[in-house]
Amino acid sequence: MKLLRVKASHFKNCCDGFTIDLTSKSKKTAEDKEYELQEIAPDLHAFNTAAFIGKNASGKTTAIELLDCAYSILGEFRLEGKHYSYDGAQLELTFYHDGFLYLYETALSSGKTMGNQAVFRDERLCRKEYFKTNVKEIFDREGYEEMQDLGDLPEDTSKVFFILKKKQTRAVFFDSFSGGSDTYQTLFRALKNYDIGMDVLAKVIRIFDENIQELARVDDHNYRVVTGGEERIMSDTQLIYFLSSGTTKGILLYTLMAASLKEGFDLLIDEVENHFHKTLVENMISLYKDKSVNRNNATLIFTTHYCEVLDLMGRQDNIWICNANSHIHLTNMYEDFNIRPVLLKSKQYYNNAFRTAVNYEDLMALKKVLKK
Amino acid sequence: MKRLIMCEGSNELAVVNILLENDALIFTEDDLLGLTPYHARQIKNNTQVQAALSMYFGNDVLVMRIGDKQTDRLVIQADFKEKICETVKYCTLPELEMLLIISEGLVKEYEKVKSSVRPKVFAKEHIRCNQKKYDNSSQFYRDYYGSDCGKLIQATITSSLQSPRILLP
Repeated sequence: MKLLRVKASHFKNCCDGFTIDLTSKSKKTAEDKEYELQEIAPDLHAFNTAAFIGKNASGKTTAIELLDCAYSILGEFRLEGKHYSYDGAQLELTFYHDGFLYLYETALSSGKTMGNQAVFRDERLCRKEYFKTNVKEIFDREGYEEMQDLGDLPEDTSKVFFILKKKQTRAVFFDSFSGGSDTYQTLFRALKNYDIGMDVLAKVIRIFDENIQELARVDDHNYRVVTGGEERIMSDTQLIYFLSSGTTKGILLYTLMAASLKEGFDLLIDEVENHFHKTLVENMISLYKDKSVNRNNATLIFTTHYCEVLDLMGRQDNIWICNANSHIHLTNMYEDFNIRPVLLKSKQYYNNAFRTAVNYEDLMALKKVLKK
Repeated sequence: MKRLIMCEGSNELAVVNILLENDALIFTEDDLLGLTPYHARQIKNNTQVQAALSMYFGNDVLVMRIGDKQTDRLVIQADFKEKICETVKYCTLPELEMLLIISEGLVKEYEKVKSSVRPKVFAKEHIRCNQKKYDNSSQFYRDYYGSDCGKLIQATITSSLQSPRILLP
């Protein structure tokens, strides 16, 4: 299963018809096919990496939350525990699965439980067989046939269940708030669930803190740490002070990355620069682009203010610029801007080519007040 | 020293990967920048090569370019100039398909038409693997040589008699 496109209306503060298309649109060179794209069906290419950029409060987090929402439906067939209201949101998901394209439409409303569960209403599930000759028409409604008489489900369970059947991680969302003391529980759960070896954890820890020789779980809240040949048992709260929250976040994120690359699920990261050094971000991007590592078509999707990272992305159609006035709008670097590929994207960003610059007058207004 | 292998085409990359997987070269994956060969004509156009060079802080990178053109000059950006100590070119002239023609024992037959037919065209007409005609795809090289690297090494040795710049153990 691969998510190809999400279209939303009335989702948080998004404009109507807010669309994120994860399939290639511009020309595909042989090198692009090697590094930038993954072929999920003959001639149908999705991105290995994708990014959302924009100034503060431009809607980057909302865009990635929309994707998280879509992946929750496709992975767990339900939506719950999100921090926003679903009331009135309308979603249209297009995904590819086993030779068919599926178009799923639903309206959402908030359920009456405490866990903020979504109720699915007015669901429609359509499909058409994928043929490479029709690759340009994958989003055309023509040819999609509605799937009737699928059966009944509880109102908090999506009809996508009838297609995908088995709950499976389709993506993991790493938001800006991750990194508390429960991180270690999540970390060891991820190692177990995704069958990631302790050798991988050791290599990850080495990147973030070379003094740590071993980190092992004793029980749900206690861990064994070996540093400089000395062994200590620490609670999760003690451990987070000992290792620092940055290191803790980094270890978890890199472990989730290893799981994503192994299992082929997508990894969504909000504000990738919040978590670690630029080289480590560059390394992540390069791992997703390396087919000898990314063997199962995982995609790395992130938001960033680190526009230098964009220079490592060889294409433009996998980069969206977020803008907010009364509503959040997305523009695509390839479709909506005329940027010559030879120019560095970071330089264009700083030259305000995407209208993302911080307002100079606002900065000076603050300075003026501070001078008083 | 780290070797940066830049293959001009995906077929050259497939051949190098088969040789690496079978430990048939004088170096291993561990000696390669980024632990992998790259499909890249130029550094400036390939973000994956740029990322590999950015992450490496030594100044002993040997760039090994593999392709069928001898004229294409490698442009090295100022940021990476100090990291690269040497650049060498391994030419697959006239075309990589000569390996397949050698392996099929069709060299004499090809010699008769070589003034008018390119090796690629000749291979498409005469070479098959598992009932599939040669289609200029890297998968064909995988299918053809993947399970028999000895055949690839033999073809490379034969080819190296004409072109001395072939790496062998």
